[in-house]
Amino acid sequence: MATVQLQDVCKRYGGAGGLAAVQDVSLTVADGEFMVLLGPSGCGKSTTLRMIAGLESISDGRLAIDGRPMNAVPAKDRDIAMVFQSYALYPHMTVADNLSFGLRRRGTPRAEIERRVAATAEMLGLTEYLARRPAALSGGQRQRVALGRAIVREPKVFLFDEPLSNLDAALRVATRNELTRLHRRLGATMIYVTHDQVEAMTMGSRICVMNRGRIAQVGAPLEVYRNPADTFVARFLGSPPMNLLPARLRRAAGGSVALVAGAELPLTRWSDAALEGVAEASFGIRPEEMLLLPPDAAPQPAIAGTVASVEPLGAETLLLVDTAGGEVTARLHRDTAARPGDAVRLGIPSAAAYLFGPDGRAIEADRPAAGAALN
Amino acid sequence: MREQGRGDRLTALLRRGPLLAVLVLYTLYTTLPFLWVGAMSLRTTAEISADHYGLPSPAHWGKFRAAWVDSNFAGYFWNSTVVVVSAVAIVTVLGAMAAHALARYRFPGNRLIYFVLFSSIIFPPQIVLLSLFQILVNYDLYNTRTGLVLVYVSLQLPLTVFILEAFFARIPQDLFEAARIDGYTDFQIFLRIVVPVGMPAIVTTVILNFVHLWNEYLFAVVLVSDEDLRTLPVGIQRFMGDYFQDIGMIATGVMIAVIPVIVVYAFFSEKLIQGMTAGAVK
Ligand SMILES: Nc1ncnc2c1ncn2[C@@H]1O[C@H](COP(=O)(O)OP(=O)(O)OP(=O)(O)O)[C@@H](O)[C@H]1O
Ligand SMILES: [Mg+2]
Repeated sequence: MATVQLQDVCKRYGGAGGLAAVQDVSLTVADGEFMVLLGPSGCGKSTTLRMIAGLESISDGRLAIDGRPMNAVPAKDRDIAMVFQSYALYPHMTVADNLSFGLRRRGTPRAEIERRVAATAEMLGLTEYLARRPAALSGGQRQRVALGRAIVREPKVFLFDEPLSNLDAALRVATRNELTRLHRRLGATMIYVTHDQVEAMTMGSRICVMNRGRIAQVGAPLEVYRNPADTFVARFLGSPPMNLLPARLRRAAGGSVALVAGAELPLTRWSDAALEGVAEASFGIRPEEMLLLPPDAAPQPAIAGTVASVEPLGAETLLLVDTAGGEVTARLHRDTAARPGDAVRLGIPSAAAYLFGPDGRAIEADRPAAGAALN
Repeated sequence: MREQGRGDRLTALLRRGPLLAVLVLYTLYTTLPFLWVGAMSLRTTAEISADHYGLPSPAHWGKFRAAWVDSNFAGYFWNSTVVVVSAVAIVTVLGAMAAHALARYRFPGNRLIYFVLFSSIIFPPQIVLLSLFQILVNYDLYNTRTGLVLVYVSLQLPLTVFILEAFFARIPQDLFEAARIDGYTDFQIFLRIVVPVGMPAIVTTVILNFVHLWNEYLFAVVLVSDEDLRTLPVGIQRFMGDYFQDIGMIATGVMIAVIPVIVVYAFFSEKLIQGMTAGAVK
């Protein structure tokens, strides 16, 4: 199996002066790891993946697979397999021929080809479709053929470019689990591009969040979720996204406090030293951490506002509240009696607070953020 | 209810009526002259003069033999076959390769070449007739089948490239990249992906080129003068004298000339439909 190393990789389209689609990407994917490249549309995920595949030249920087420099190695000699969003099945070939096309080229002995095609078809439940053409398959079956075409080659590295985005919701969840099992079973290095955070969170050993051609943050899914490196990551991961409110910081008797939406919120996660010299910041709180306080609640850190709308989703309820600092969303784990126009107070657990400096970077805390509070 | 159903059928008929009428008229418009020529091909010129629209009774099948053996139609047929099949084969191979290169590769001058080819479709081919004649004479290709083949290739290449380029450009790029990762070279990708997937378009150009060249008269008559090298359309001319036209034999010659066109069309349109269903890019 294999490691994949990118070092200061850049991609500029249209010559040296061209616009950079990918900039200074440095990333090491460990052997057997499932690395997810996550980011909004146009952030350079596909471009990065295609550079690893050898479908796109690398403008600058180094790429190595298993320590071997790959910049100048053609795609076919990189020992990678790629699953395309469109599946890219050869329309004029049967499923069996689609699966064996790559092996035949490599001069694999016929018996071996047959064995591998049969095993792969078996694994993916495609055995009865081997004689069909792609046009006669359903979307999910085509997707599995595309997957099989990669598996049958037994490559060092699997590359996926949004392979599930053409499936319907139910099939997507099923295939997601299937892919995870497949990864465990093959133990192969996989790099997976998606803009779907649920896919990223559930499948990735680690995720690499990209923004405008650069890496914003790399880490285990929950680690990135709990400790977003900047406001972009904070808002990109999580649905609904993290609430960010402008805050002024002040040194008080018991420690620092943030003035947010007319309320004073204690900053218990940060030492005074950590907040040295910071006057203005963005105060972050995830919707699921906020509490809807009953009128008789004990005094605690909270902000006040007016309910703008209530969105019951069944298992949970989203509460949009207008506050002096802007609109915030609270995600309640049960139904609520609150109605639009009601004045409400939203509790802000200090342990779940985030601060981001004026440059958008997270202000490093001394105590870790607490997990989801109960409400 | 019943009234309603009948009304519906009536409106449906009214809506489809004009379409049906047009189709019927067009079918008659195209087949009647053909059937007429077919009938004449079995009648003598004397019979035809007596009654233009008569049926072939008795049918003079011997006229076909007479044309084939006595009037050198076997030779014309052979010349047409050699020239047209070679020209179509060369045009198809060259055209497909050129179209693939223009559709798939970015290189300086790509669009310039495309534009030059495209603009040559617009000009009527007659304007190059005289200069082509001179060039063929200079290269000792005048009055040869090779010369005619070369001219036919150059005449048909632009349209062929134009049609194929448009089709090839719509083959998803992902297919090429998948094949590249699967280890295939550019030329193998052309042979094993582009050609089979592009087969419907290729067959279209083959039919188009074959029919057009098989019936081509102007260049054939100007660039070939030797009786033994004449192609069918020129050969039919021998039944036309200055004062007398052997209408009956002309019809027979036309029928001989037309049969291969029908065969080629029938054979390839079968392929065309097969290719369309097999290569459907979904
Ligand atoms: N061939 C190209 N020429 C010029 N610019 C390109 C080319 N391909 C991509 N780009 C640009 O590079 C940037 C990154 O594109 P990329 O396809 O990597 O985005 P992505 O993250 O995969 O987005 P998506 O989620 O929409 O697929 C985009 O701004 C895009 O416009
Ligand atoms: Mg993409």
